[in-house]
Amino acid sequence: MEPFSALFVPSEPPPALPTGPSGAPPVVPGGFGPGKPLSVSGPPNSSVPPIPPPPSLSSSVPVGEDASRRSSGPFYLLRELPGLSDLTGSVNLILHYNLEHAFGKFCGKKVKEKLSNFLPDLPGMIDTPGSQDNSSLRSLIEKPPICGNSFTPLTGALLTGFRLHAGPLPEQCRLMHIQPPKKKNKKHKQSRTQEPAPPETPSDSDHRKKKKKQREDDPERRRKKKDKKKKKSRHSPEHPGAGSSQSGLR
Amino acid sequence: MAEKFDNLEEHLEKFVENIRQLGIIVSDFQPSSQAGLNQKLNFMITGLSDIDKCRQQLHDITVPLEVFDYIDQGRNPQLYTKECLERALAKNEQVKGKIDTMKKFKSLLIQELSKVFPEDMAKYKAIRGEDHPPS
Repeated sequence: MEPFSALFVPSEPPPALPTGPSGAPPVVPGGFGPGKPLSVSGPPNSSVPPIPPPPSLSSSVPVGEDASRRSSGPFYLLRELPGLSDLTGSVNLILHYNLEHAFGKFCGKKVKEKLSNFLPDLPGMIDTPGSQDNSSLRSLIEKPPICGNSFTPLTGALLTGFRLHAGPLPEQCRLMHIQPPKKKNKKHKQSRTQEPAPPETPSDSDHRKKKKKQREDDPERRRKKKDKKKKKSRHSPEHPGAGSSQSGLR
Repeated sequence: MAEKFDNLEEHLEKFVENIRQLGIIVSDFQPSSQAGLNQKLNFMITGLSDIDKCRQQLHDITVPLEVFDYIDQGRNPQLYTKECLERALAKNEQVKGKIDTMKKFKSLLIQELSKVFPEDMAKYKAIRGEDHPPS
């Protein structure tokens, strides 16, 4: 086997290339640039040690790869296959990382949209954007508060600054009392809508009619009603017989 | 792991409840409740101190910044988890599709090349020395 350097250093000096009018070597169309001058081995009698040949494209290939290239027969650019990794996108990664429970929990059913559904016990209106009242977490990151001071309890003198006037706060300042509206049951909603104009169901109307009929059919009730009417008519001043009967009694 | 969060959660809940009570006292302040107010203010300071102490236990916890956007918009942060899982599954399926297609393409290419260049492909198979997927 030939030594490695012998493969790339030409044994014979190449023929002198024609130079251009300016003395520079001509550029070969479609080929590579001229590279360095051809005085590779230098003058034979000079004391300067021979300069190693410039690294060419072929010489930049590592030894191992060159060997594999030679063993690749008629094929070039044949490289080693990438090592087979156990975990690729061809496997279900959610199952691989045991996330099926989380997947079922979050993707199986509908997750409620609002923050108050996630933190139902938190007082105040938390569904409004944080940028409105300058309470966003993003602003906390962008402008971090000044930290480092220790937390010391307030003494008597310091607490005098927190003496408040008696009386209620104005409505707009009572933020803690505002709660996000909670959804009511569908049943309640239906009854609410029915309240202003309750539609008569057939069963309801039948029931009422029946009651009315029962009342009318009741004979005692009828008689009493008649008696009442008679009495009324007797006492009324318009009734012709009323005055006479009364007068007759007198 | 869960204990750390439980501890922080407990402190946060106490702090929020204290602030709520403080709000109630302040919303309709009576001079007689000044002592209660002072007590609540000091509870608030100790509450903040307790929360600050929890920081040491949670220094290795990382939170994705996108979650903060959800919270700032008044949205449920669980939606972020849901969308992440859905995106991961969609990407997983996409990559699996690509891998399967490339495998099919490789076997078909080898099959067709073997018809046209049988000798070369025999050499190629000898070099590779692998089991090609069935076409």
